[in-house]
Amino acid sequence: MTELILYNVFNGLIIGAFYALMALGLSLILNLSGVINFAHGGFLTLGGYLAFVLVPFVGFWGALLISPFLTAAVGLVIERLMIRPLYGRDPLYSLLLTFGLAFIFEDGTRFIWGPQTLPFSVPIWLQSQLSTEFFFLTGYRVFMVVLATVAVIGLFLILSRTRVGMRIRAGTLDLETVSVLGVNTRVLRTVNFGLGIFLAGLAGVLAAGMLGLQPTTGSELIMPSFVAIIIGGLGSLPGTLLGGLLIGVASGVTSVFFPDASEAVIYVMMGLVLLVRPRGLLGEEGRF
Amino acid sequence: MSRLDKSADAARGSGPIVPVAGFRVDKRATDAVVWLLLLTMPFWISWIGGYTQLGTRVVILALAAMSLNFLLGYTGVLSFGHAAYFGLGSYGLGLTIKFLVPNTLVGMAIGVATAIVAAAIIGVLIVRLRGIYFAMVTIAFGQVFYFIAYRWNNVTGGDDGLSGWHRMPIDLGFTQIDVLNNDLAFYYVALFCFAVSVGIMALLLRSPFGRTLLAIRENERRARFLGIPVDRHIWLSWLISCTFTGLAGTLYAMLNNFSDPHDLHWEQSGNFVIMAVLGGMRSFWGPLIGSAIFIVLEDYISSRTENWESFIGLFFILIVLFFPRGVLGMIKRKTMQ
Amino acid sequence: MSLLQVDNVSKRFGNLIAVNDVSMTVEQGELRAVIGPNGAGKTTFFNLISGFLAPSAGKITFDNQDVTKLLPAQRVWRGMARTFQITEVFPELSTRENLRIAVEVAAGYRLKTWLSRDLDGEVRARVTDLLEMSGLAGKADRLVGELSHGDQRATEIMMALALKPRLLLLDEPTAGMGDQETYDITQLIRKLHRDQKLTIVLIEHDMRVVFHLADRIMVLAEGALLAEGTPKEIAKNEAVQAAYLGKAA
Repeated sequence: MTELILYNVFNGLIIGAFYALMALGLSLILNLSGVINFAHGGFLTLGGYLAFVLVPFVGFWGALLISPFLTAAVGLVIERLMIRPLYGRDPLYSLLLTFGLAFIFEDGTRFIWGPQTLPFSVPIWLQSQLSTEFFFLTGYRVFMVVLATVAVIGLFLILSRTRVGMRIRAGTLDLETVSVLGVNTRVLRTVNFGLGIFLAGLAGVLAAGMLGLQPTTGSELIMPSFVAIIIGGLGSLPGTLLGGLLIGVASGVTSVFFPDASEAVIYVMMGLVLLVRPRGLLGEEGRF
Repeated sequence: MSRLDKSADAARGSGPIVPVAGFRVDKRATDAVVWLLLLTMPFWISWIGGYTQLGTRVVILALAAMSLNFLLGYTGVLSFGHAAYFGLGSYGLGLTIKFLVPNTLVGMAIGVATAIVAAAIIGVLIVRLRGIYFAMVTIAFGQVFYFIAYRWNNVTGGDDGLSGWHRMPIDLGFTQIDVLNNDLAFYYVALFCFAVSVGIMALLLRSPFGRTLLAIRENERRARFLGIPVDRHIWLSWLISCTFTGLAGTLYAMLNNFSDPHDLHWEQSGNFVIMAVLGGMRSFWGPLIGSAIFIVLEDYISSRTENWESFIGLFFILIVLFFPRGVLGMIKRKTMQ
Repeated sequence: MSLLQVDNVSKRFGNLIAVNDVSMTVEQGELRAVIGPNGAGKTTFFNLISGFLAPSAGKITFDNQDVTKLLPAQRVWRGMARTFQITEVFPELSTRENLRIAVEVAAGYRLKTWLSRDLDGEVRARVTDLLEMSGLAGKADRLVGELSHGDQRATEIMMALALKPRLLLLDEPTAGMGDQETYDITQLIRKLHRDQKLTIVLIEHDMRVVFHLADRIMVLAEGALLAEGTPKEIAKNEAVQAAYLGKAA
């Protein structure tokens, strides 16, 4: 029993790390640009399929490296062409636009690669079990957690140490002042969007290694990401990270005792958090 | 800019004249034309390639979109999770008829009540939130009922939906309406529900309460400093909106003789919003026009291609980028220039 | 008897003390001006009185009742109405509708007011009164967003008045206006004060307006009370002159 719970806690952490990677990207875009990117799951799916296409040419490691950049490039083009004209308008419009994009991503990947699950193979040595006692500790799972951790640390370093990162943070607090200081906020938003989509692409490749490829992966992961952001508190990236991990573990543990509620439990958590702290766990009063 | 899409025709006291397509048309005349078209729809819809059930679908989904617009266009609050209350109506009715009482009216009452209870509780949690935060939380809460329906297999039928029941003839005591075998009768029952609901919403918008909603939409801070209990009024508006959406859900389940988990899904929520935007959110009849265009288009595209979802997605994008005021918004703007 | 009494209120934002231990007593029927250099904490002080912000310390008494912890709307129901530095109206509704909403709120939107034709008539009559009093009658059916700055401000003041307040709080009523508009608004405020015997507290930058209107003046500097007195006393006060000149220099 202990092992089963431990297994599910660990599993929950892996899923939580996914949610967090995806939700952090969503959060970045939401905080700076006020856009709820419904197509974020679509970008994630795209990242996985692009890696699938790349593997025969550049191998797993090459695909892992290149695919997030390609996904981000697609994101940059879409931001520039479709989302930029909507800044400053009612958030309803960007929400509807990305909603439409989500349809196209899902249907488009289904059209190109088919509705069936495609296998995505990872290097043999990563598939090995690390311990016979803890059978669930495969190399790939550990690898995913490590990589997600590295990505999150990298993101926070970019935001706290680089010039563009500091501008993004400043812009999140007060975009007008940042623009008065001579920063091109349009470019800043585009770069920030690209950064968010990069994280989605990375999460997509990692997810593909564990779950295989399916057109619906993105739309299945988007809702938990929203919940992660709300639980963590809108406007707070550490909050989003915390929220992602929390709901991952919560649904992992629930699946031991009451598997049918493993999805619903995170919404119950969200309700409780909103009841006690309407701004989310680490959200600040007065923003949003 | 936006002052041009003259807000809230229903609620403004400044004369009933609205310019449409170059002419100045009496608002009562517009209303009369709309009702006339709706009343006669079954008789002309086949001329333009439709069929009665398609017309019924337009009326039912228009009710949902107009209910959403009560909140979206007239209170200025963005809900992206209305499918939840639509679906609760649908399942509430389906489960009642299948397992409890094979009676249409009881089913409708229970379906609507389910939607009201859920909306009242969730409303308390979200009423202090605004803008995109409100939108996100409504999206997320909307999804919880989907998962319940999806997982609670032995009761709800899970992914396959709830079938094995059908709408029952409505017994009014003095007479019986055979909605089961007569699609035309069902159309008029749906239209009756639509008319009553829309009438109530129009009356509410014309009342002092309705004007406070406009005030909140226009300037929440000012509204608060006039002493309007803003949160409570948003909660009420939300509840009214969800109630009629739930009613539309019960009708939709009856139309299909089936409760579809898709009724609860966020895609359905998005469809309601696009219907309102497409027709014009600042116009009372806008969502009706939006739903007619959307449903006819969806019906047409899905019969032609497997990849209709891509076309619907593209349709969303085109509307947002090139047609954000919607049909009625554009017409008004043109005639005022 | 005093209508509004503010006892030793302070407001801190982190390390910044925006309002520091300020007290004020406003008598029934008085017109009080609050002045001070930029950043003196005037608007924060105003927000504390109207309930937009909660004070860090101190007590606010309105009409012999402690209102320190009440929400803005609750203070409105007790007879405190305010306007904002940046005009807050309902831009896409007409002047008439703007006022009508305020009048209906004041009447209490109960089912009775909604159903009864008589009451509806009363509401309309009151709206017409307000329109005429403010000189906006000719613009009643225009959208407020299309009106001039001065007319928007007048609409806002009349909306506050529609609530039948016992205390009217005006935050820089002539901010950003030209001479003629400033004159018109000053005359309107004067009329409300004289004819309606309304108690008014206003923040104002324009010294002509202040000295023209106020019964008593209170001067804030760096969050603290610097001086208080009649216009004549304040004009002669050396500390006040120093504060203003010091800032200017």
